[in-house]
Amino acid sequence: MKRAAGLLAFLLLCAPASAGAQKPVRIASLNLCADELVLRLADPDKVASVTYLARDPRSSNVPDLAKRVPVNRGLAEEIVPLAPDLVIVGAFTTRTTTAMLKHLGVPILELGVPASLEEAYAQIRTVAGRIGEPARGEAMIAAMQKDFARLPPVPAHRASAIVLRPNGFTAGRGSIVDEILGRAGYENLAARLSTDRLGQLNLEEIVEAQPDLLVINGGADAPPSLADDLLHHPALAPFAAQGRTLPLPTRLWTCTGPELVEAAKRLAANRLAGTRIGMAR
Amino acid sequence: MTARAHPGHAALVAALAVLVLALFAGSAAIGYSTLDISAALADLIAGRASLPALVLSELRLPRAILGATVGFSLGITGAALQGLMRNPLADPGVVGVSGAAALGAVVAFYFGLSASFALALPLGGLIGAGIATAFLLMLARRGVATATLILAGVALNSLTGALTALALNLAPSPYAALEVVFWLMGSLSDRSLVHVALALPFMIVGWGLVLATGPALDALTLGEDTATSLGFSLSRTRLLVVGGAAAAVGASVAVAGAIGFVGLVVPHLMRPLAGNRPGRLLLLSGLAGAALTLGADIAVRLIPTRPELKLGVVTAIIGAPFFLAMLRRLKVEGE
Repeated sequence: MKRAAGLLAFLLLCAPASAGAQKPVRIASLNLCADELVLRLADPDKVASVTYLARDPRSSNVPDLAKRVPVNRGLAEEIVPLAPDLVIVGAFTTRTTTAMLKHLGVPILELGVPASLEEAYAQIRTVAGRIGEPARGEAMIAAMQKDFARLPPVPAHRASAIVLRPNGFTAGRGSIVDEILGRAGYENLAARLSTDRLGQLNLEEIVEAQPDLLVINGGADAPPSLADDLLHHPALAPFAAQGRTLPLPTRLWTCTGPELVEAAKRLAANRLAGTRIGMAR
Repeated sequence: MTARAHPGHAALVAALAVLVLALFAGSAAIGYSTLDISAALADLIAGRASLPALVLSELRLPRAILGATVGFSLGITGAALQGLMRNPLADPGVVGVSGAAALGAVVAFYFGLSASFALALPLGGLIGAGIATAFLLMLARRGVATATLILAGVALNSLTGALTALALNLAPSPYAALEVVFWLMGSLSDRSLVHVALALPFMIVGWGLVLATGPALDALTLGEDTATSLGFSLSRTRLLVVGGAAAAVGASVAVAGAIGFVGLVVPHLMRPLAGNRPGRLLLLSGLAGAALTLGADIAVRLIPTRPELKLGVVTAIIGAPFFLAMLRRLKVEGE
């Protein structure tokens, strides 16, 4: 608590004088991951706007919460008239809008993409502190840590897994997905095959690598796209036939929040079910 | 004007066919995983569901088959359009036929039509390509100059490109808008036998229609009046080319995107070898188009980029300077 309060004081000192009030009262978000944190941590009447993505149940974990507040498409024109006293943006998205808002002197908080659970907790702490709800942030972190601790123990010999995302992207080394696979008792094969965080693996490389599990990271009801088509390529059919695929909605581990635990739980449950089948054979 | 092939022509066709077969084998042998091709082939023939057999049958073969057939479609259509319009710059990519096919395929694919009815994908491409070809032939029929036809093609290309982008932006999938590159540049990456099965029947019909115009295209070199007096129906020839181009290019673009310049470059390379007989040029251009596309598709896999380079990038790097050189030569001849 002391640390959060200290952080809050520090942030308030940094904020422009116009922010004045103890807590921001008109918070706008230009990033889906910021939307989820703001909608969960702030009082609904303090949220001036979130992105339209937050209302889409395919991409968002909080579509119902998002229905209660106005939405934007990430344009400066939509944000400026709201006269927000805090705008939370992603470090890699809506750069033009962010630059314009900065130029106009609107208080901005930029969120990066956490590469580990520790960084995810730090992000929750930052957002909760900045919006004046440090206690809610700490409660969210504590609940997540408790749930992660309850996961089944990781075996000495871990089965291998590759996460296949639309467009052939996988989750590489030093990503939050990599850490969650580890917590669930899997070895992330893509971390060995691909060098970067968002490694793109060719279908041939995936088929040749023969992971024990292929996590199909897309929505079952996703509208047609070439990116999504790849997840259903006939070359992957043998994995499905042998029960070596697990569909997992991308939204579970795209952003920082309690769904990260849910992703780990589903993976761990799949591993235990697989082990039992293996023993029965 | 007998269409009898003289021995030189048959030898040429055979040589090109051997080249296409060699590149086909090369395309199947080259990939991202280390594959023992002979073991894979043995497993495949014996019906053993081994890993090498899977990679060969589900990933390498569809790619090689589409490389050959898409290239054949673009080459043969380019030769037919150039012959019929008597315009050396006509090419499905340059005059907007491929762009229109991409638009038709995009509408069919992203808005769920092809999910409920698989044939909607090639049919969408076919309808787009058919409308564009018919429009261009209408212009060509009025006897417009080469430049006018090409400018009309540029306009058609811009329009279909813009409408494709609009359709992709309106599509429900969040990935759609980023996939415009595939449709405008073309790629054979991660295609499957499903795509082969969808496109190949249409392509074969298209080739048949286009090849049937061979004698008429030969007669057309003597002028429209002479061709008509020799008993060739111009309207029938036009209809065959429109139908053939629509089926072959439409189906090609629906599964591989719009790969440019193949239909432009290949007929020019083959023309001196065809003895300036447009009818004979058709088959030669088809085979050379297959060879060029297979070669370019091998190149995109050997160039170490991630994600893989789009096929149209390679064909444009080869084709665009060629196009400029053609323009220059035409101007010199015109003066």
